[in-house]
Amino acid sequence: MSETSPLRPALVTGDKSLGDITNDISAPMAGTPSPMWWAAFLIAFSALVLGVVAVTYQIATGIGTWGLNKTVGWAFDITNFVFWVGIGHAGTLISAVLFLFRQKWRTAVNRSAEAMTLFAVMCAGLFPLIHMGRPWLAFWMVPYPNERGSLWVNFKSPLLWDVFAISTYLSVSAVFWYIGLIPDFATIRDKARPGLRKTIFSILSFGWDGSARTWLRYETVYLLLAGLATPLVFSVHSIVSMDFATSVLPGWHTTIFPPYFVAGAIFSGLAMVLTLMLIARKTMRLEDYITIKHVERMCLLMLSMGCIVGLAYGTEFFIAAYGGNPFEQFVFMNRALGPMNWAYWTMVTCNVLIPQVLWFKSIRTSLPAVFVITIFVNIGMWFERFVIIVTSLHRDFLPSSWAHYVPSLVEIATLIGSFGLFFTLFLVFCRIAPAIAIAEVKDAANVKKREVLLEARNEPPQIIDTDPVPVNVDPSMGC
Amino acid sequence: MINEANKPESLHQANESGPPMDNATIPEKELFQLNRRRFLEAAGFTFSAVALSGCTRPDPELALPFAQLPEGVRPGRKLTYASSCVDFPSGCGMLVSVRDGRPLKMEGMPEHPLSKGGLNAIAQALPLGLYDSHRLKTPQKRGEQAEWEDVDDAILKTLASIKDSGGAVRVVTPTVTGPTLKESINTFLKQFKDGSHITFDAVSHSAILDAHEKTHGARVLPHYLLAKAKVIVSFGADFLGTWISPVEFTADWRTNRVPTEDDPQMSYHVQFEGRVSLTGGKADRRYRLAPDEFGTVLNHLYALLSEKAGRKVDASKLGESPIAEADLSTLAERLWNAKGESILLCDSQTVAVQVVVNAINHLLGNYGKTLDINKPSLQAQGNDREVLKLIDELKAGKIAALFVAGTDLTHNLPEHDQLAEAISKVRLVVSLNEREDDFTSLAHYACPDHHLLESWLDAEPVCGLVCLSQPLLQPLGNTRSILESFALWSGNKSTAYEIIRTSWEKNILTRSKSKSFRKFWDQSVHDGFVQVSAEAPKVSEFKADAVVLAPQAKSGEYCLSLYTKVGLTDSRHAHNPWLQEMPDPITKVTWDNYVSLSPATAEKLGVSDGDVVAVEAGDANIELPALVQRGQHDRVIAIALAYGVKGTDRFAKIGPQWLESRLTVAEGELVGKNAAPLIDVANGSLSLTRGDVAIARTDKRHELARTQEYHSMELPRNVAPHGGEYRDVVESTTLAAFKDDPEAGMHEKHFDTSVQLWPEDHPKKGHHWGMSIDLNLCTGCSACVVACQSENNVPVVGKDEVRRQREMHWMRIDRYIDGDDDDIQVSYQPMMCQHCDNAPCETVCPVLATTHSSEGLNEQVYNRCVGTRYCANNCPYKVRRFNWFNYAHEDSLVNLALNPDVTVRARGVMEKCSMCIQRIEEGKIDAKRRGVQVADGDIQTACQQSCPARAITFGDMNDSNSEVHKTEDNPRRYGVLEEFNFRQSVSYLRVVRNRDEQHSGKDGHGEHEDHEHSEVTPSNSNNIVNLDEKRTSETGGKHV
Repeated sequence: MSETSPLRPALVTGDKSLGDITNDISAPMAGTPSPMWWAAFLIAFSALVLGVVAVTYQIATGIGTWGLNKTVGWAFDITNFVFWVGIGHAGTLISAVLFLFRQKWRTAVNRSAEAMTLFAVMCAGLFPLIHMGRPWLAFWMVPYPNERGSLWVNFKSPLLWDVFAISTYLSVSAVFWYIGLIPDFATIRDKARPGLRKTIFSILSFGWDGSARTWLRYETVYLLLAGLATPLVFSVHSIVSMDFATSVLPGWHTTIFPPYFVAGAIFSGLAMVLTLMLIARKTMRLEDYITIKHVERMCLLMLSMGCIVGLAYGTEFFIAAYGGNPFEQFVFMNRALGPMNWAYWTMVTCNVLIPQVLWFKSIRTSLPAVFVITIFVNIGMWFERFVIIVTSLHRDFLPSSWAHYVPSLVEIATLIGSFGLFFTLFLVFCRIAPAIAIAEVKDAANVKKREVLLEARNEPPQIIDTDPVPVNVDPSMGC
Repeated sequence: MINEANKPESLHQANESGPPMDNATIPEKELFQLNRRRFLEAAGFTFSAVALSGCTRPDPELALPFAQLPEGVRPGRKLTYASSCVDFPSGCGMLVSVRDGRPLKMEGMPEHPLSKGGLNAIAQALPLGLYDSHRLKTPQKRGEQAEWEDVDDAILKTLASIKDSGGAVRVVTPTVTGPTLKESINTFLKQFKDGSHITFDAVSHSAILDAHEKTHGARVLPHYLLAKAKVIVSFGADFLGTWISPVEFTADWRTNRVPTEDDPQMSYHVQFEGRVSLTGGKADRRYRLAPDEFGTVLNHLYALLSEKAGRKVDASKLGESPIAEADLSTLAERLWNAKGESILLCDSQTVAVQVVVNAINHLLGNYGKTLDINKPSLQAQGNDREVLKLIDELKAGKIAALFVAGTDLTHNLPEHDQLAEAISKVRLVVSLNEREDDFTSLAHYACPDHHLLESWLDAEPVCGLVCLSQPLLQPLGNTRSILESFALWSGNKSTAYEIIRTSWEKNILTRSKSKSFRKFWDQSVHDGFVQVSAEAPKVSEFKADAVVLAPQAKSGEYCLSLYTKVGLTDSRHAHNPWLQEMPDPITKVTWDNYVSLSPATAEKLGVSDGDVVAVEAGDANIELPALVQRGQHDRVIAIALAYGVKGTDRFAKIGPQWLESRLTVAEGELVGKNAAPLIDVANGSLSLTRGDVAIARTDKRHELARTQEYHSMELPRNVAPHGGEYRDVVESTTLAAFKDDPEAGMHEKHFDTSVQLWPEDHPKKGHHWGMSIDLNLCTGCSACVVACQSENNVPVVGKDEVRRQREMHWMRIDRYIDGDDDDIQVSYQPMMCQHCDNAPCETVCPVLATTHSSEGLNEQVYNRCVGTRYCANNCPYKVRRFNWFNYAHEDSLVNLALNPDVTVRARGVMEKCSMCIQRIEEGKIDAKRRGVQVADGDIQTACQQSCPARAITFGDMNDSNSEVHKTEDNPRRYGVLEEFNFRQSVSYLRVVRNRDEQHSGKDGHGEHEDHEHSEVTPSNSNNIVNLDEKRTSETGGKHV
């Protein structure tokens, strides 16, 4: 705890002991779920079922059940894909990048952010699969030795790069998330009475014994993985952006896309983390762990990302004007003033204008206000992808082929279904694993020993920093 | 290809004994009407039959493979037969590809003197008409299926009593040019005291014939020789699209429309018209003129020309011209300078107007030069007076027997109910139509004729040119040739083959120099046509005293103009889904007819596209969706005929059926609405224009299905970037500019396509297939669209899918309308896969399903495609078509029209133009087999083959002698979006319009600093532009 400055406000409030932390965080996992959980689960699961029905119908009938046409070949499908990949970005950013920068405040949110990453990437990965005309042949996208003669995948195609980028990201995120969970699984194992639960968590915790050696290895692996995952934050969305940037379509064909997409992804990811955090904080009574301070920091990060995204929007217009390509100029004029300008202005309002209120501390610290803003940012970031994809496609080179686009019910149901899948997974996750990294929170919390707490009842408080927790003490043994 | 044709005799025999297509003719209902007793009977019989069949040989009729292969027949290999499209009086020559006994593809016959290798969309769509399960398969007696013997007995019995009582017998057909059929009908009618053959054309040219009766003493239709015309002036005649013989006229018109560097000459084509026709779109100068004002303008033109000829016409009688005098005198000057090399065409049902047209053509000395009345055309013989007389007789109950063949009489005439009631008074009503159409449902007997491809028929479209149509397969149903029917009812039991041979031996052989009939016949069947002598009609000298100025324009607020669409010139074709889904060349609407209104009129009425309007004329009233058409005259309300055909509700579910799909035809409705009730019969003619018409908007909506949503090359003003307001994908120039600089009109070059990112590591050493399309020649007629559909098994998707912009046509015709309403510029551009060498689609496919061949073709591998659609997104030309659903292939009869050389694509895969790779391979194999190189012209793509204007050139770009290679050096050559360096294999030749100044809409692209559209600034055209502006204000003032 030596690195915690006495001048900074505590990351965990409410004078928690290590045991309190364990009990508080693992509380939602024990016993029967609350009615609130059930209500949320029911809604999420219904949405998931709706999505499953829609996708089944679509796969059985054809892509024609979507609103696409000869000119607009992608719309909701790839919009959802990029949206969910973007959501998945904040997880790794918070876990890996902030870890490397020693941002202690991340501990309250990193677990759920990582889980969110995992589930979001799962949702994202679905769309490239189901958007195919013949999804049952999706395995042809994988370069494996086969008996189809000289047929091989096309390494020039950015869609193939996507396959690698997404699968890499998914696997690294999963491993990173799981490694982080091991000490917590051990805590739960230790708390559990002998039985099935204990057996499962024993297996999951890989025989964690909390020794200094284990901790040392653990910290090394975690650091290495964080180092590995960090470039992925930038590479995945850069590659996703190349789906567009390497095409010839005006509005897609632009070099700004990789950084622009990464910033957008982090922006949307932060918004989604905040949305989830605020819900979790309320429903799972984690007010002491996810404090106003966390929220405020996230808001600042979001504000800065929103400004970067806004700058990117402006730059796109500038480059179009400056580049002198009339096709590109037209696409941007058409975005802002054409028949789908409502989508464009929704995007600008939600992503650039609304987040500007976060300059005010009073708003940053008002939880309802922040919640509303994060929802707007989520909507805005979905529309950003929609605008990029649909407005560029619907009016391209030959005016004869210009077309309109209206989503079908099946498409909308699929979008709802993806949210259903995401929240169902998330709610289940809250029940089976600690939503906050217990071990890391303990590390970040200025915990007094039980004796100190007892003493404190008689004596005036003293400076806690003089009593550091030894590194080799297993926080999980603290109870 | 003719040389490969089978011997005609053996073909005929093959027809008699060929494999029957029984499965297609078994009525389904009977098979399944079983009760318990019937079932036990059938089961018992089946079991014993199975037991017995072991002891016998199989029925020889069911053995399908040839035991001994007939000479010249090779399974899977196509045979080509010469035939003629005698379903239309224009009588185009056809080469029919037949494979394993199935006629599959109609091709133009290059040797044919009229069509010269072209074929229109309707003829291309014939296979779908042939393999149509809704054709009548058997004769019918009062709507019930019957046997031929019973029907014939009954008809003959009634006829016998009519013969005794001397009742009137009428045979109604559309224009019949075939000498044999004419003779058959006449022989039949001769039996009766009062028998006559009435020619009824739904769109009649009766007035032209009547006018010639007045001016030349004979009811003839001149044979228009457009190839000889240097100045073409047309008043409403859509001669490239629908008028009389469009394929022939297109081929002729083409002759003078190819300006070259050495000879920068072109004919000058002026069109006066109310609605926007395909022909108007190709005109060098198009004037908006309501059809009821044709007479006034023609009077003025006549007066101006008379003056030049030294005669003065009283100007006070001329009335006020809606077209500026200055324009008319310029036109008169040009016509006068092209005496004997000009032609005036007019589509008017008013005889007096046509008389003035004849007078002008006479003044210009065009008779005998560009108009031939000594060997006149027989392509339109409709006689409105006789039709109207027939209607009166019917109403008076004077007709005893009515035979109708080849036309839906009641559908195509106004006052349907009165007519139906009048027909119910007739003792014997017989329909020989192919389908259960409106008239057939009123008839006592239906004696269905064979389909064209099943029958022996002949035609004489122009005096002296006799064409033959031969059967290409065993009739699919129990139908009977019209020749046999009339012969039988005349007491002659010959077959159609015998009848036509007898007739030819008697009538045609005698007109030829040939001595041996056998030789003459064989040669004629082989060639498909024969040129013989013809008796000239008794045409008198021009009767100057017959010329009276045409009556003044009507004063109605609106002017109704009924017309037929290019793809649907006759209600008989309404059952052909290819034609229903073929976008109209001008409006790009499929599956509907509509009320076309000018933008100003639409605004006045407060309607936009798809708002239903009610049109009332006389007693008739129809409600149709409105369509706003730029360039249409403000007074004109244009509605297409040949819609609302009985039985077209069969197409209700033609497209994919899914959760959100809507029916192609709404419950209780038909495809479009019949506009025939609006035909005006008041003036002794069946007039398709009338002034007493009212129009009002309703609250209803009917969304039209258009394949193109944006119609101009000028970008929407609010989103157009500065300097990029006009996207000239169709480049054009004027003849004046072309003479100065053959490369005039070229897209401003900011690019150097010699720069390559990668080395050229895939050289095309053998062939490098390429295509060139002369946009100056393309008329937008869309024959290529249907040809491609037929060749490449392109599915029909139905109205709802077209509304969703998911039509599957591999070849489409982009149509742009620019310029101001008084002088619109219409540009057509056939667009299909450009087979780019640097193809954007190829790099993005993750599974390499679209690749580049060593011969420069962009190939789509259906089997490999997983359907990511990235290729379509990345295609700058948007020519890729995705299989959104599994398109219906349940009708096994219609499936016979599928080309076995081309895969039927499954759902989820991408497809597009393959440059008819099956034809390329066939040509290469054939050349290899013969041990020669593929010669230029040996391989023709489907679109190229049937183009009436021969606008498409295809060949090997590596062959320095090939036509397509030569176009590389054509100064008019350009590539669409060439600046992106896609290196397309398809190039276009720039449009050249025979005018001095560009259209006002196309000002300033890359040339002028000032891009304001309201200002027209080309420096060399100030005078003319000012003139135009003046005229606009004048005419504008008049119409208000």
